[in-house]
Amino acid sequence: MIRQKVLVTSLVLLSLLLVVILFNLQVLQGRKFRELSRKNCIRLIPQQGARGKILDRKKRVIAENRLSYNVMFLSQNTTDRNHDLERVAKIIGVDSKTIRDAYRRGFIASSVPAVVARNIDARKAIRLEELKSELPAVVIQFNPLRDYPYGKLACHLLGYLGEIDRWRLTKMADYGYKTKDIVGFGGVEEEYDYYLHQDEGGLSVEVDHRGRFKRTIGFQPPRNGIDIQLTLSLDIQQIVERSLDGHKGCVIIMEPHSGEIIAMASSPSFNPSIFIDRSPKQLSDIFNSPDAPLINRSISGAYPAGSLFKVVVAAAALETKKINSSTTFICDGKTVVGNKEFLCWDTHSLQDLLAAIAHSCNVFFYKTGLLLGAQTIHDYAIKFGFGRSTGLDLPYEINGFIPSPLWYKLNKFKKWYDGDTANMSIGQGYVLVTPIQIVRMMAVFANGGYLVRPYIVKAIGNKDISSSQQKAVYLNLKDTTIKYIRDGLRRVVSDSAGTGNVLAGLSIDVAGKTATAQAPPDKAHAWFSGFFPYQNPRFVICVFLEHGGPGYYACVVAQRIIEGMISGGLI
Amino acid sequence: MRSAKPNIFIIAFLITLLGILSIYSSTFQKEGRLWEDIYKKQTLWVALGMIIFIIISNISYRRFWDWTYPMYAAGLFLLLLVFILGVVRLGAQRWLKIAWFNFQPSEFAKLTTVIFLARYFSKKSPNEITLSSRRFGIFRGILLPFVFVAIPMFLIMEQPDLGSAAMIFFVFLALLYLTEIRLKYINIFLFAVLFSFPILWRVLKEYQKQRLLVFLNPNIDPLGAGYTVIQSRIAIGSGGLFGKGWMAGTQSQLHFLPESHTDFIFATFAEQWGFLGSLALLLLYFLLIRQGFIIAGRTQDTFGKLLACGITLMLNLQILVNLAMTMGAAPVVGLPLPLMSYGGSSVVTTFFALGILVSIDRERAVF
Repeated sequence: MIRQKVLVTSLVLLSLLLVVILFNLQVLQGRKFRELSRKNCIRLIPQQGARGKILDRKKRVIAENRLSYNVMFLSQNTTDRNHDLERVAKIIGVDSKTIRDAYRRGFIASSVPAVVARNIDARKAIRLEELKSELPAVVIQFNPLRDYPYGKLACHLLGYLGEIDRWRLTKMADYGYKTKDIVGFGGVEEEYDYYLHQDEGGLSVEVDHRGRFKRTIGFQPPRNGIDIQLTLSLDIQQIVERSLDGHKGCVIIMEPHSGEIIAMASSPSFNPSIFIDRSPKQLSDIFNSPDAPLINRSISGAYPAGSLFKVVVAAAALETKKINSSTTFICDGKTVVGNKEFLCWDTHSLQDLLAAIAHSCNVFFYKTGLLLGAQTIHDYAIKFGFGRSTGLDLPYEINGFIPSPLWYKLNKFKKWYDGDTANMSIGQGYVLVTPIQIVRMMAVFANGGYLVRPYIVKAIGNKDISSSQQKAVYLNLKDTTIKYIRDGLRRVVSDSAGTGNVLAGLSIDVAGKTATAQAPPDKAHAWFSGFFPYQNPRFVICVFLEHGGPGYYACVVAQRIIEGMISGGLI
Repeated sequence: MRSAKPNIFIIAFLITLLGILSIYSSTFQKEGRLWEDIYKKQTLWVALGMIIFIIISNISYRRFWDWTYPMYAAGLFLLLLVFILGVVRLGAQRWLKIAWFNFQPSEFAKLTTVIFLARYFSKKSPNEITLSSRRFGIFRGILLPFVFVAIPMFLIMEQPDLGSAAMIFFVFLALLYLTEIRLKYINIFLFAVLFSFPILWRVLKEYQKQRLLVFLNPNIDPLGAGYTVIQSRIAIGSGGLFGKGWMAGTQSQLHFLPESHTDFIFATFAEQWGFLGSLALLLLYFLLIRQGFIIAGRTQDTFGKLLACGITLMLNLQILVNLAMTMGAAPVVGLPLPLMSYGGSSVVTTFFALGILVSIDRERAVF
């Protein structure tokens, strides 16, 4: 039977072909199909943890989380969708068209809940939960959102939150960050994001072909972020921001011995919650504002130091014995260096060091500066911490700049003249400093010769990190140097002709130095930096008003702040 | 020579056992008592099938020679009855409700057609020893039997049940080839059929056309007609070498795979038992079919030989087409996997057919 053999053989061949197809499906492509089958039936339901809170030095909350309630609608659980949506609309108080539109926008599949209303208040959410048996399709989603109980307060210090950008993602992917993560931008939120950051947890569940829950496969509980305690004092910060309101500039208050930042405000400011609500209009206003409200001027702005730099020059001259306490120069309103006239802002006649500091006499410091030479001034400025960041634990701190003859030659291809030295002696020309550097320099005379490292975070979780934060460097200045300069700083306020005499009326003794830093073509910058109480300093302050005019205006702001602190019983 | 009866019985028993395991695993999670009991029903059908197997195997197959025309007529009658009284399920009218169960006459009609063909081609003229079919021309050799085949085929196709109809046609072709009809006639017939395809295409229902197109590319309709094939391939493929384990097949148990206990039972099985388990199952089927061809080979009687061949071919083609369909290598046509798929008519008819095979084998021993 030839024909039967042919038939049977072809059937066997067909069977073998099927075995080959089966082998291809199961063995060669098995991995791919297993992945496909896994995707079919496993769903991940994410659960958000709460981001760590930010507390002030007395553990009062500055930034926390509130629960936001979103209403989601799962249409496979209802028989009458429109009727149910109508009821939801009535309860949360919107008209039914809005909610139907929202449903239509959010709809993906009947097995996937669609968000129909966001951010409803807690009472309405509870009301909806109570009606669960009548409205089985309604699911309330809890979502922790950043909340700022004090609004704009300390916004630059805190920073704001936003979806991770590509640049940060490449930098932080190794630390477990993923796309769509919410991370801090600027301030403590960014610097300590690693600790504040919550871990997303979730359920992995098995679902059937209609997306209905079958069983839980695994549960990873979400991890809350760690709370961070700042050195900031909420009360003083409030006083500072109130006093600074309406000005452009910044104020820093620091504890001189440890470097704890007590208050830090920059103006204009912004409300970080607009980055949570993400209203496009408000966001573009902020990003496009010419006043750059997002910039923390305390650390990210470099300005000419003006007369505040005279303190550095004085210290350098005393240390190098170019002058002593009895050295005098005569100020007749101007002096000639090279072939150019350099002006003083007044005619002070005979000036010794203390008087020169008190009156902020330019001529005295032109001459002292010329005795020192530019390189020595540069070296002492570096010693006092200028030209490099202070190491404050906030991002985007800039270095500022201190020029030197060598730099001038290498970068500007010009010879450094005595005129440049004279300019440098009064903190003009190429000298650029940040307000935080000024505060730190001032602290040296408040604490007896230590260059502290400012810091803002006192504790992470329950762990106090102050001891590792404090890194003070002893500058090895002579006691007499510190004493003379302290005396001079006191006389700025106490001397009836002192530039900071406006502060003399306060019930505590203040010492400090004003500055009116020229910033042509605009108005000058107003500076005041000092410390108080004079005998036993507990606070160093720096007030900076961008294009604020004469230093006097900075003194007025400082006065208001110190008054507020006195009346608040905070000193 | 040893009787094939115990071999066939044991192999069939093993296959039905695997079938019941798979049916249980794919239905135990479904809601409702109806679903929970489905494996029990299948067990009852298998038991009934085995009783029928034993009864038929003890009846002389020559009796079917005498009963050919009444059986053929009964088959046609049942098919017509489906049109009048049939139960409509899944868009097709294939079942007759008899007492508490649904009966699918097309299963029975397949068998009666095979018996009819076996008898037709093994007729001998009274005064000669040679087969009369050897002298058949194209009319008596092909066209006349085709008319007899075409009537049930057409009725089944109209149910619509393209798979069973095609099955009858393929068995007819294979049996033609096995008889002494000249190849030239068969070729002419094949060409004629080929040229009538465009006409046949118009006769097909919309969903059948869709299925054929989807077979060519399942991705044209992933949520509709292509869904089953895609999910079936995922189920089989995800089984891998060793399978996911019994009762651990996500595709079938979470109902991503439709018809997981009937036509696509092999996907359910392959997902849980993997390539090795599937090979074992295929081996069982191979041994079963092999027994059928061995019986056909050692039977001297032409009617017995053709009947054995026809039955074995019928089973073999159904198995091949069903497996190819679950793997996406053939269009989705509603064909059960014999002995595995849930369904009383299929199980009982298959055991009936196996009973005839054993009966043929027994008669041979008597000669």
